[in-house]
Amino acid sequence: MSETQADIPDLNANAPPWKHNPSSWRQRIPICVLAGIAFLIASYMALYQWRLIGDVWDPIFGEQTRHVLDSDVSENMRRWFRIPDAALGALAYLGDLIFGLAGSTRRWQYRPWLVLLFGLDVIPLGIVSAVLVVMQGTVVGAWCFLCLVTAVISLILVALAYDEVWSTLLYLKRVWRKTRSRRALWNVFWGRASRAADEVALA
Amino acid sequence: MWARVIEVMLGCWLAISPFIFRHSEEDRVLWFSDLFAAMVVIILALVSFWPPLRFAHVANLVIALWLIGFGFWASPYPSPPALQNDIVVGLLLLMFAIIPNQATRPPRSWRVFYARKSNNVTAAV
Repeated sequence: MSETQADIPDLNANAPPWKHNPSSWRQRIPICVLAGIAFLIASYMALYQWRLIGDVWDPIFGEQTRHVLDSDVSENMRRWFRIPDAALGALAYLGDLIFGLAGSTRRWQYRPWLVLLFGLDVIPLGIVSAVLVVMQGTVVGAWCFLCLVTAVISLILVALAYDEVWSTLLYLKRVWRKTRSRRALWNVFWGRASRAADEVALA
Repeated sequence: MWARVIEVMLGCWLAISPFIFRHSEEDRVLWFSDLFAAMVVIILALVSFWPPLRFAHVANLVIALWLIGFGFWASPYPSPPALQNDIVVGLLLLMFAIIPNQATRPPRSWRVFYARKSNNVTAAV
């Protein structure tokens, strides 16, 4: 059986409930660029925590950044995870970037697992990291300009990414309503095609 | 296939890690772990290009978990740089290994589904 491009329906179709396609490159590239910037910033701070560089730049709070990066809170995190907390943050932002790049422009339908993984990385993890950064200010008593920049980026990412996750959840809900079968839902979740899923996707 | 290419690069990094982090001669387990993981990661990434073994890269998740676990438990805190390297590479591998081969196209199952559908329509006409 031959597969031609014409057989595949419109990959740029709008995803319910929106009047736009949340999986389009127009939506995803800005997320990837922002996540990439946050990845570089966090990596830079990790280099300081590894002492591969001797100092860390901060135009506003000066010395305070070093107090934050060398604080007891940060040291405890390192004890748990064995690597500096900034390195862990850098990996999480890189995850946003990787999961943002993978998938077609209709991945909200064809790869729900990927969109939900992306959503988990961006939304709960993003909110937790932003809260942690603000807590640093209150617990450690020092502020870190670059940490605040990454926290702001995290929150912007949440705002940019939620529509795609919502479309996928809505789609899975429709598949469940139509089939009432856990097995069907499981298959659709992992990107296996089914007639029922095809019918409800754009309904 | 970009994820597979990056896996090969990570494998190459693991292969040169013993020399960059200067593992000591006596530390046979560390040498073995890095070089063996490097070999398996590169092989699994490359054989994923062959259609019958296209899911082979998923097995890299096992190597990723091994690297993270080894990095975590092989030494008490603070972990030496070589083991932190294992943890970081393991976490990177964990993210890349789940990316499908032809990530920017719809999955094969959906492509076949639509091909069948349009063939049926043509047959009916």
